[in-house]
Amino acid sequence: MAGEAVMRLKIAIFIAKFAGQLSKTILHKSGETITGRVLLTLYPKAITELAKGRTVICVSGTNGKTSTTKALVEIISQLGSVTTSSSGSNLDRGAASALISKSEYAVLEVDELHLANVIEQTKPKVVLLLNLTRDQLHRMHEVKRVAERWEKAVIAAPDTIFIGDIDDPFVSLALKAAVNKVAISFGGRKHLDGAVCPACGAYLNWIGNNYECSCGLTNRKPDQLFASGSAAYRNAILANETGKLLGAKEIAIVEKRLERSFDRDYKGISAVIRLTKNPASWIEALNSIVGDKAILIVNSQEVDGIDTSWLWDISFAQLASKQVIVCGERSLDIAYRLHVEGIEAEIADNFLSAIDKFEKGSRVYVLAAYTAFFELVN
Amino acid sequence: MSQIKIVRIHNELLGTYGDQGNAEVLAFRAKFHGITASIVDISFNDTLPTNGDIYLLGGAEDAAQLLSLEALQRDDTLNIAIERGAVVLAVCAGFQIIGKKFWASGKYVDGLGLLDVTSEPGKKRFIGDVKTTSTVLGFELTGFENHVGQTILGPTVEPFGKVSVGHGNGDGKYDGAVQGNIFGTYLHGPILARNPEFADLLLTRATGRKYAQITDPLASRYAEWRRKVIK
Repeated sequence: MAGEAVMRLKIAIFIAKFAGQLSKTILHKSGETITGRVLLTLYPKAITELAKGRTVICVSGTNGKTSTTKALVEIISQLGSVTTSSSGSNLDRGAASALISKSEYAVLEVDELHLANVIEQTKPKVVLLLNLTRDQLHRMHEVKRVAERWEKAVIAAPDTIFIGDIDDPFVSLALKAAVNKVAISFGGRKHLDGAVCPACGAYLNWIGNNYECSCGLTNRKPDQLFASGSAAYRNAILANETGKLLGAKEIAIVEKRLERSFDRDYKGISAVIRLTKNPASWIEALNSIVGDKAILIVNSQEVDGIDTSWLWDISFAQLASKQVIVCGERSLDIAYRLHVEGIEAEIADNFLSAIDKFEKGSRVYVLAAYTAFFELVN
Repeated sequence: MSQIKIVRIHNELLGTYGDQGNAEVLAFRAKFHGITASIVDISFNDTLPTNGDIYLLGGAEDAAQLLSLEALQRDDTLNIAIERGAVVLAVCAGFQIIGKKFWASGKYVDGLGLLDVTSEPGKKRFIGDVKTTSTVLGFELTGFENHVGQTILGPTVEPFGKVSVGHGNGDGKYDGAVQGNIFGTYLHGPILARNPEFADLLLTRATGRKYAQITDPLASRYAEWRRKVIK
């Protein structure tokens, strides 16, 4: 880069950091988004320039991006200094903001729709593809549309190694297009959007938990096969296998840390709060409930998905005979959905009045929409 | 008739936008009316039963929509059932399938031709809350639309609803189409969950009986709230 360009980039970074600092002190926000946005406005090629000379690893997928990225940072730290996206900041501005810090490695969480763009700019060494399922359909439109973008991104990056879970046919489609790939299977599992082969459009032939299309798309010929398990378990393995590609040693990962959940005490009531954001993550979260008390919080902000029709994609049958309280902007949507399934939930005005309805000493599972989860974290 | 058979067509293909809930709401409302309802799921490789009372089709992605059409073209069942007086509720991709012609995966294909409508790709995707007033039902309906197709009605069908919020068939004037007992709409939600009175009307049409009004406070509260907030 010519001297003048270096200077311009340095000035852009200086101003962007200042803007981020202002946003932090005045607006009490994380500042990451503003920093990245300002940097990209002042210097549109900042990501490309800042990625040069370091090893970049991208993590993408519908569910588990943030927690898997965190685990991967820990793994890669064995090898050298690492910079990473701040929690959930996964658009190109998040990448720009993360890359401002100097480091040998960068582990970036990338939004599914932005992956192609970030790959093009950062030329990653490795990309980890977790899964693709229906999510925020008002924004994603169709799962297949996202998968096809991935496929194109893969074709355009022949020097990158792609690693992913091919029990998901959409990940499988992307990996099939890769020159360098590691295809991992956990023995197969059903996929909510897996009726059609994403490669050829035929009715996908499922034999139990495995698929095998006449066009050749299948999860039955993985490079590595692991035992089946929860999403958290699978993501832990995927993170470790990604690390190994770069020479890192496997580390022990507590599954709970990959669940996007935390425990908190509310005046003697212990709450296990878990992020839930689309049918696939709701199914995982519903399966994790122990005991007979639950709060469900459903919102409909942009990141939650502005429509709630998807509540009818899954069964809540395992909540039958539990004490269930619902709240959030769309408490009536979830209450009526449960009602039709024979589960009568109580509707509360907000989370605090919901948790208040339980007896002291109880343990309550809280499944929280994206925006609700972050309100509770803070 | 105290028993009805609800046929949910190709849920694995036409179940992307939550419309499978329509079957559950119908069965749930049926119970209040003293009707025993059974939901029969028909998948791509199954043969469609001819003795259904209500047939349901939902929204889908393009490739899934084409597969569903292919399966439904294997026989004339749906047509025979309609002539017998069966009720059809088809949403979004399903609505397009039962029309004469639609656009999917970059080409025009002939639909089942059960409704005199044709669909073409719109210039943009229509996404958001919708409110319509149905002339058939005489009341307001709410739902959520997410489609790129726009639908043109032929002379033998009536529009299902007049749009006051949203885009409906793409012109922002009307949503869906209706002809006898065949209903097509772009409204997800699912539509019967957000408008349970519509479920009651379909049950009436399917059984030929009039039913007393149902008291289900939660259902009414939910429907009223959606009508109030969408403007």
